[in-house]
Amino acid sequence: MTVSSEQHIEGKRDVTFRVFRLNPQVDSKPYFDDYTIPVERGITVLRALNYIKENIDASVSYRVFCQAGICGSCGMRINGISKLACTTQVWDELPKCREAGIIKIEPLRNLPLLKDLIVDMDPLVGKMKHYRNWVESSMPEPEMGKKEFLVSEEEFSRYDKATDCILCASCVSECSILRANKEYVSPAVLLKSYRMNVDTRDSLHDVRLAELVQDHGVWDCTHCYRCQETCVKNIPIMEAIHGIREDAIECRGLKDTAGAKHAEAFMSDIEKKGKLVEATLPFRTNGVAWTVKNLLPMAVKMILKRRTPPPPPLVKSSKGMKQFREEFREMTEHVKDDHKTHNK
Amino acid sequence: MKPFDIIIVGGGGAGLYAAMEAMKTNPSLNIAVLSKVYPNRSHTSAAQGGANAALANTAKDDSVELHIFDTIKGSDYLADQDAAEVLCTEAPKIIRELDNMGTPWSRLDDKTIAQRPFGGAGRPRCCYCADKTGHTILQTLYEQCLKKGVVFFNEYLALNLSVKGSRSKGLIAMDIKTGKIEAFTARTVIFATGGYAKMYWNRSSNALGNSGDGQAIAYRAGIPLKDMEFVQFHPTGLRKSGLLVTEGARGEGGYLVNSLGERFMSRYAPEKMELGPRDLVSRSIETEILQGRGFDSPAGKYVHLDLTHLGADLIRQRLPQIREMSMYFEGVDPIEEPIPVRPTAHYSMGGIDTDNQGRTVMEGVYAAGECACVSVHGANRLGGNSLLDILVFGRIAGHTAAEEARSFEPGNITDAELKEHAEEIRSYMQPSGHYERYGALREELGHTLGTNVGIYREASLLRKGIEEIAALRERFKKVRVFDSSDVFNTNLLQVLELRNMLDLSETVAAGAYAREESRGSHTRTDFPTRDDGKWHKHTMATLVDGKLELGEKPVTMGRYELQERTY
Repeated sequence: MTVSSEQHIEGKRDVTFRVFRLNPQVDSKPYFDDYTIPVERGITVLRALNYIKENIDASVSYRVFCQAGICGSCGMRINGISKLACTTQVWDELPKCREAGIIKIEPLRNLPLLKDLIVDMDPLVGKMKHYRNWVESSMPEPEMGKKEFLVSEEEFSRYDKATDCILCASCVSECSILRANKEYVSPAVLLKSYRMNVDTRDSLHDVRLAELVQDHGVWDCTHCYRCQETCVKNIPIMEAIHGIREDAIECRGLKDTAGAKHAEAFMSDIEKKGKLVEATLPFRTNGVAWTVKNLLPMAVKMILKRRTPPPPPLVKSSKGMKQFREEFREMTEHVKDDHKTHNK
Repeated sequence: MKPFDIIIVGGGGAGLYAAMEAMKTNPSLNIAVLSKVYPNRSHTSAAQGGANAALANTAKDDSVELHIFDTIKGSDYLADQDAAEVLCTEAPKIIRELDNMGTPWSRLDDKTIAQRPFGGAGRPRCCYCADKTGHTILQTLYEQCLKKGVVFFNEYLALNLSVKGSRSKGLIAMDIKTGKIEAFTARTVIFATGGYAKMYWNRSSNALGNSGDGQAIAYRAGIPLKDMEFVQFHPTGLRKSGLLVTEGARGEGGYLVNSLGERFMSRYAPEKMELGPRDLVSRSIETEILQGRGFDSPAGKYVHLDLTHLGADLIRQRLPQIREMSMYFEGVDPIEEPIPVRPTAHYSMGGIDTDNQGRTVMEGVYAAGECACVSVHGANRLGGNSLLDILVFGRIAGHTAAEEARSFEPGNITDAELKEHAEEIRSYMQPSGHYERYGALREELGHTLGTNVGIYREASLLRKGIEEIAALRERFKKVRVFDSSDVFNTNLLQVLELRNMLDLSETVAAGAYAREESRGSHTRTDFPTRDDGKWHKHTMATLVDGKLELGEKPVTMGRYELQERTY
């Protein structure tokens, strides 16, 4: 007993929590409050917040429910990264502090702030509705409950991991597109859309896909991978996003939307030259009229700053193109084969 | 706001199923779900193991009949046999219905829904999705509700029923986002607010919000509660946090081991071993610890749940969440070493007394799920029957309310009633005369319940528990809400939830004191055997003129005679 009590003391230190505060009723702008409390090794950030709320400042506000990493309520930014407070150990955060011994706690980004660490989840729910994030059963309602669908292990495995999502909105908070465009579908909703689209029991695939390729949809993602890096359930969200894109190209063709055309332009450049011909990329993606209307001012600025990409004739092929083309062809064949077997 | 036909309080499995079924039954009704959290946060998500149904996919000789018998035997013969029959008969249909709506059930090689063994069940009949069953069911139901356009009032806390005579006029609730007290005039109200086991605080696996709001509201409105003394202790809570390690871990072949390295269940359930029913396994662990064969640590005494022999692949594939939780909250990787566990308050068998259709004694008020007591679980619930209960009876309650709603005239909730509630809430924020700290009261409540109304109970302890609860209720009158903000006042929320837990704790302790026998989860060391002569009946707890009155109700029997319950 004495030994463990000693270990107890060794694993204890003072930690400061720098907590984002804003009560819209009284504050005109946000500020930070510092709370320094004794923390034992093994304590989660959520338990530390509970301690602060109960012993120092009852007005610190955050959502909390299951405390076990399954309900998704306590998503917040801890030392700048969006995660669940209930599964984050204070000890693990200490080496990540910008100022030694001070853990910064902020609300999730990209969702409207309500108070302190609480953000409004309604926009996310709205998007789930807009993109029909439910299985539209291929079984008519009166038939339901009579027999089960037969689902193979392989079919099940396509959506198994995606159903781990607890809608904690960490990915939403980290998404670099959402920072610029709040109307963007968002990673969580793309993941859920994908999960529905690969479910053999669903019958809404085409309708959902048609919506996903519109503006603010799947083609707006810039592959920054922040969603996947931050996912508290380690779900490969980017695989879902790529999955939707590949599916869209396969089902709807390459001329369908700007996004598809953009992808195609990339592919043909790489195939021909091994590098991008950037100067003509906007024309090929969005057409001449759109480009002239939307990008001309920027083009002028770029010319003035001498930051224009080289004109197409000056873009020389990369070295070793011959061998590269062979490998490229092999790769594309490979991917096509994969798709065929996957979609059978 | 115009009157609602149905207001459903609670957005977990029971509430969402009730909403869908009510809409299906009568699409012209004005229905809304009111929930203190976003529905997808509800505690249904924490159910890991699965839901029982005699699909006979895994064991071809399984049948509804066997499921009924296991449920009744598991309940220590306190379940109403007609209710258990409804539960088990509806089970296969509801599991298939969920499959048809998109629940990602794990599959067998023949592509049918997989089933695994669970405690107290004679056949492997627990349908599951890895160890995230409740989570995926909740997601499915929430998705389907979004599809059907169910109206949600998210982050509203229900405060009280507005009652006139024997009739409910609707619900008084607080918008958590604004602090405003609002009237939800409604022809019918369905309570689906989940359990009350969080009153055991850090010896509970429950979410913070499992404070028995619906039961407390019903109780204050004079609706009787049934069998409140029956609180299930789950055998395997994590040592430090009380968080749950699913029974699935034992279903997959995990061992319980004491400090002498013995698989001690051989002493208590030689045949079923680790897969004995929960009450028995919990008592066995508690006995091992009390007799000095547990492990010791600053965070309390415990035994080992050993999964290491199952192999890394199986653990990764079938119990990924358990592995994650053991690592997050205990720093133990179950692939490498055993998990430290001890029993934790997990489930409330008791709740609002309803008939098999979800009706309470008050006209227009219904209840379903863990907050109700039909009763299908009697003195002890079988693993895998709680998800089933919320689905089956959530649907039934939704159907009944939809059929009956239009037969009730809507009442009128007065401004005076709302004002009264607002003033009471404001009073908690007044510094004069209000100094008790919520945290202290809550810790003490959890402590006295754990010590005096825990797994092993006896008269002197229970008397002490009742006295301490009364003292805590007195002190609560002086509780102080330190946050005076209207917007998202989570401190106020905590205090209002504590009030509900305090109101209910009295019924738990009083019921336990009165019941002089041992049955299911209720173990009296001073009355160690089941006494069918005196106590084969339900306990009813009703608030009459501000005082708790205990009554009784007979158990509905059927084709199964009373037998001794051995495993």
